[in-house]
Amino acid sequence: MTRLVAGELIKVRTTRTALGFAAAALLFVLLMVFISILAGHPRTIQNKQDSLNFGNITSFVLMLLGAVGATGEFRHRTLAPAVLIAPDRLRLFAARTAAYALTSLAVGVVLGIIAFAIGLPLLGGEAGPDLTGGDLTKIAVGGLIEIPLYTAIGVGFGTLVRNQVFAVVALLVWVSIGEPLVGLLGNDVDHYLIGSTMTRIGSGGDDQVSFGQAILVAVAWTVVVCAIGALVDRRRDVE
Amino acid sequence: MEPMADAAIEATGLTKRYASVTAVDDLSFRVREGAVTGFLGPNGAGKTTTLRMVLGLARPTAGSAAIEGRRYVDLDDPARTVGANLEVAGAHPGRSGRNHLRALAAMAGLPRSRVDEVLRLVELEDAADRRAGKYSLGMRQRLGLAATLLGDPRVLVLDEPANGLDPQGIRWLRDFLRGMAAEGRTVLVSSHVLAEVAQTVDDVVVIHRGRMVQQGTVHSLTAAGGGVVVRTPRTAALLAALERAGLRATETPDGALVVEGAEAAKVGDVAFAAGVPVHELSARSTTLEEAFLALTSDAPPPLPEAPA
Repeated sequence: MTRLVAGELIKVRTTRTALGFAAAALLFVLLMVFISILAGHPRTIQNKQDSLNFGNITSFVLMLLGAVGATGEFRHRTLAPAVLIAPDRLRLFAARTAAYALTSLAVGVVLGIIAFAIGLPLLGGEAGPDLTGGDLTKIAVGGLIEIPLYTAIGVGFGTLVRNQVFAVVALLVWVSIGEPLVGLLGNDVDHYLIGSTMTRIGSGGDDQVSFGQAILVAVAWTVVVCAIGALVDRRRDVE
Repeated sequence: MEPMADAAIEATGLTKRYASVTAVDDLSFRVREGAVTGFLGPNGAGKTTTLRMVLGLARPTAGSAAIEGRRYVDLDDPARTVGANLEVAGAHPGRSGRNHLRALAAMAGLPRSRVDEVLRLVELEDAADRRAGKYSLGMRQRLGLAATLLGDPRVLVLDEPANGLDPQGIRWLRDFLRGMAAEGRTVLVSSHVLAEVAQTVDDVVVIHRGRMVQQGTVHSLTAAGGGVVVRTPRTAALLAALERAGLRATETPDGALVVEGAEAAKVGDVAFAAGVPVHELSARSTTLEEAFLALTSDAPPPLPEAPA
């Protein structure tokens, strides 16, 4: 398994795709920190937490990286050479998922450091209560947990649908349009959907879903999406 | 099918159906260990689908395939057992050839030095650090062959490796296959262009419409279609004499007669007995190309391509 992960990590590192998504995530994190602090002037603990919430936006961007990476195997027909070396498709899928999750975790660590390094001095000049060590830990831990989980969801979804454009558009539409529409139904279902869970982890949970519950929901989504993707892929012929 | 000792690859009753299309229909064949076997058939015959089933990339609707006695998915060390090249591309266009091979080598647990070795072997060292998307078709074929050789496998399965190659590339490929055979490897190479493999293969498996047409040595394939060419100024008289002797002859556009399945001595005796003068009498051996065309042209038209 270690060999497969090592091979998949080389694949992730040796194209510009991961770098491009990491750069996009960095840009969004910088915009979030600067705009929310310099223009928003956060005064409450919650608003200050949100201004450092690197995990939320990074999770979303790297979920798309996972989807693009997984679908790229089908788009560029690179799956067959890998399957010829590792015919156990479940192990291969697990290795690919692990490689993307590890890559996204590394990106998350870097972006977290950058967000804190820039954001904390800026927040120091803002009015209201300061963030405690516990608040900062929750932001950092939440971010570093949700980023690999959502990247894995992207890999699982991409493996399931195979079409790159569809995978990206479907994830974008679901998180930005689909879930808010579900929220209009007026029940509590929307509290446990992918995008809303992502937001709750990044912000340390809320009255409806606690931080720990949100992490469990994210883990459940990851397991379900990846299991479906892996099992469906296992039954397919390799083109 | 007669048992064959030391079969490196064995397919038994392989069948693949896509909805209403039967791409491969009850196909059984064996590939001798240490031989170069041409897997021949016109486009759409089911060659690639068959190879994908042999390599575990496609599930057979029925039947099975084994390499060295085991299903591909059950091989202990696939990369060191079988090297297969089914895709012309197979590499991410944004990744260099070297990195493509590095990733595969890492997955197979092979040292990085092996990447340099196979790059040297396929003469792709100079372009190794260029992105695969910038490669010519011939370079992509070489990259595919390099990936095939990474594990120094005993069995090679190559699907249309000459596709898109220029004459120099085809010559290189021919030398390459000969080199692999000389090292004692088993090679199964598919092609729809007989000239590409005719000089290289020991055995042939010919399929058409997903079904077996013929399997055997190249010699057995060409000998079966042999005959005698005979010229005479009294064509009609010789034709009648041959018919009386139970021999079947056809007249060619240039006036010669081709007597199928006969020996020159027998034809000469018939002509002499009939008092017909003979201006030419020669044995005619069928080329692999002719044998292939004869085997596949009588069959019904090929099935539609299987869905990608």
